[in-house]
Amino acid sequence: MAPTLFTNVNILEGTGVLPYRGSVLVEGNRIRQVGRSTSAITPAGATLIDGAGATLMPGMVEAHTHFSWNDAATLSGIQTMPLEEHVLWCAKVAKRYLHAGFTSCLGAACAKPRLDVVIRNAINNGQIPGPRYLAASQEITVPGGLGDETLPHLPFPEFSFGVNVNGAEDMRKSVRMFLKYGVDSIKINLSGDNFVPGADSHTAWMTDAEVAAAVEEVKMRGKRIIVHARSKASIQQALRHGIELIYHASFTDTETLDMMEAAKDRIFVVPGIAILYALLNESEQWGVTREIATGWGYQLEWDAALDSLSKMHKRGIRVLPGGDYGFAFTPHCQNARDLEFFVKYLGFTPMEAIRSTTLYGGQIMLRGHELGAIKEGWLADLLLVDGDPLANLSILRDPKRILAVMKDGVFAKAPTIASQRAWGQAA
Amino acid sequence: MPPEEHILWCSEVAKKYLDMGWTSCVGAAAAKPRLDVVIRNAINDGTIVGPRYLAASQEITVPGGLGDTTAPHLPQHEFAFGAIVSGAEEMRRCVRMFAKYGVDSIKINLSGESITGMPSEMSQFTSEEVRVCVEESKAWGKRVSAHARSSWAVKECIKQGIEVIYHASFTDAEALDMLEANKLKHHVAPGLAWLINTCHHASQWGLTPEVTRKMGYHRELEAAIESMKAMRRRGIRILPGGDYGFAWTPHGTNAKDLEYFVKFVGMSNMEALLSATAWGGPMMMMGKQIGYIREGCLADILLVDGDPLADITVLQDKDRILSVMKDGVFHREPPVGAGRPVRSGAPLNATRWN
Repeated sequence: MAPTLFTNVNILEGTGVLPYRGSVLVEGNRIRQVGRSTSAITPAGATLIDGAGATLMPGMVEAHTHFSWNDAATLSGIQTMPLEEHVLWCAKVAKRYLHAGFTSCLGAACAKPRLDVVIRNAINNGQIPGPRYLAASQEITVPGGLGDETLPHLPFPEFSFGVNVNGAEDMRKSVRMFLKYGVDSIKINLSGDNFVPGADSHTAWMTDAEVAAAVEEVKMRGKRIIVHARSKASIQQALRHGIELIYHASFTDTETLDMMEAAKDRIFVVPGIAILYALLNESEQWGVTREIATGWGYQLEWDAALDSLSKMHKRGIRVLPGGDYGFAFTPHCQNARDLEFFVKYLGFTPMEAIRSTTLYGGQIMLRGHELGAIKEGWLADLLLVDGDPLANLSILRDPKRILAVMKDGVFAKAPTIASQRAWGQAA
Repeated sequence: MPPEEHILWCSEVAKKYLDMGWTSCVGAAAAKPRLDVVIRNAINDGTIVGPRYLAASQEITVPGGLGDTTAPHLPQHEFAFGAIVSGAEEMRRCVRMFAKYGVDSIKINLSGESITGMPSEMSQFTSEEVRVCVEESKAWGKRVSAHARSSWAVKECIKQGIEVIYHASFTDAEALDMLEANKLKHHVAPGLAWLINTCHHASQWGLTPEVTRKMGYHRELEAAIESMKAMRRRGIRILPGGDYGFAWTPHGTNAKDLEYFVKFVGMSNMEALLSATAWGGPMMMMGKQIGYIREGCLADILLVDGDPLADITVLQDKDRILSVMKDGVFHREPPVGAGRPVRSGAPLNATRWN
């Protein structure tokens, strides 16, 4: 494959360094050279991309992805899609994420046992286009908890969104099944969610014995656990068991924050705050008015989450974007909106927001040494963006502004050759 | 193959067929109950790319028949390639299930297939079961197609009104007379490439000519060629395609059939070509809307580098099929010569390639 030279681009490394004008040479699947010269010598046979001042930044990482969420407004609406259609749906969504600039996604849970694994494998063997992907299990939950969608008269597991377990040995068996299927992470619901009657966001229901069994099995096979943990008790439970990937983390107190800070070098928090915002402000057409959402407790949670997450950010705990896109009110591929929320509500600078989806993204993908920044020798996952994301983060969710997407040194979305765009105005 | 991987496979193959110029395909049978239906729907709603498609059921068969791949100690129906029924009412239930799933056609296996151990000349099903299959299919507006290699099976298709006859290798004078008398009601798709390649081009998969001769395929190939020649003389519609997707009949090489029609059945290049175009319309249940370049017809069009009437094999070469248009939209756009604009009016300005 011919090398690619991006020249005359504003390089946004993703590390926190201010952007600078320069050139980046990609050879194979790696970034070979990063320079401040815009008149770099083109190696023979290289493809030259003159960015005319467009921004070159690392591909974004979505740290809490649900390919199998199918734009339905309810869990059962997701679950009732038949298997065959569901796989094709996931394949289609995977491609959309890549084209939207997400070159890596961390699976957060899938709606049927093998969906994530099959999609990851199909991406890796070149059958379908998609981001780098870490495959998750279904949500493991307890009867009556978040994810148990069975009805009293229809108790069959096929009707359930998640997998229901009872007791440590049941948990072990379920975890082993998913590990056998080949997941990269096991998802466990340690708390509820406000839309679930009787299992709201303040709950915590799993026994320590159940969690310990899951952790033991997962560690034994070198995989990771992801937890849905909105309540204080569930966050503390996750920390006690050494779990690194904490989703939501809305309710905290000083003790919880202290525990988190003490573990800040190994934990990641991915709040998925877009869904809280959407339920309160943008879900009326699906029957969820602000009044209803507030009644469920989402206003209270929104306020608590902003407070908790701002404090986490101040304490240097890594908070990453992404999460729960794929419901009717949080459409897929708008995920970069989280960056705007981080700045607007959590006290991030735009640069910190970028870093959370690039440098920290590489770390959460388990490739912190080679993914998530524009550095020599690192993997060539790159975006060419029309404009300056630091001045306006919202351009990252505008398909027209994502001029090109490169994953592993190959263009997933190639820049238009004969564009009528006024390149001179890009920067 | 698990269903998740299987559906992705089907999706990939559907695109490959369109790539190779097959703008319409008639499903002959699916390996799991809903595969064909889901792929057809996904093509129609734009989720995936593929030809116009008529979705088939699984093969309906009898215990111990062609398509019953269960083992005595593993009797679960998930292990079976086909849907296994015994008795008229089970047949009715099975047809209803596939009709509910939304197939366009019901596939029934009326004869054996030598490679499976059940000789091709052997037949299966009672006439009553076949009658119920057709009756129930017609009640739901579905077409029936049959795997029919034996003479009995061919005759049963005509007697019972099974429109699509696959294989028809062994025909006696009675079968040919019956077919001729009903020639506008039936389509015959022999799937010759399967016989030819199994006999002569499958050694690397362990199917040497000695092995396949012992199985009976060489005799069947000779019989099939005689049958097809006789059908051609009698003006019975013979169509290409069939049983591509085995290791020795790879997907996408289906235009081999046209070459074989010329080489073995005695068709002219024009006849072979028409078998894939003019007769494709009725086979797709679309009459004369497709299969012709005529004003008012649907725009399913290939741009071919060369003259298929001079060399029918050009249709096997992807590079020679310069472009594929389905329903008025380019699936593969024609290549653009050097120096010509990719899109008119778009200047090549800031981004350069060298």
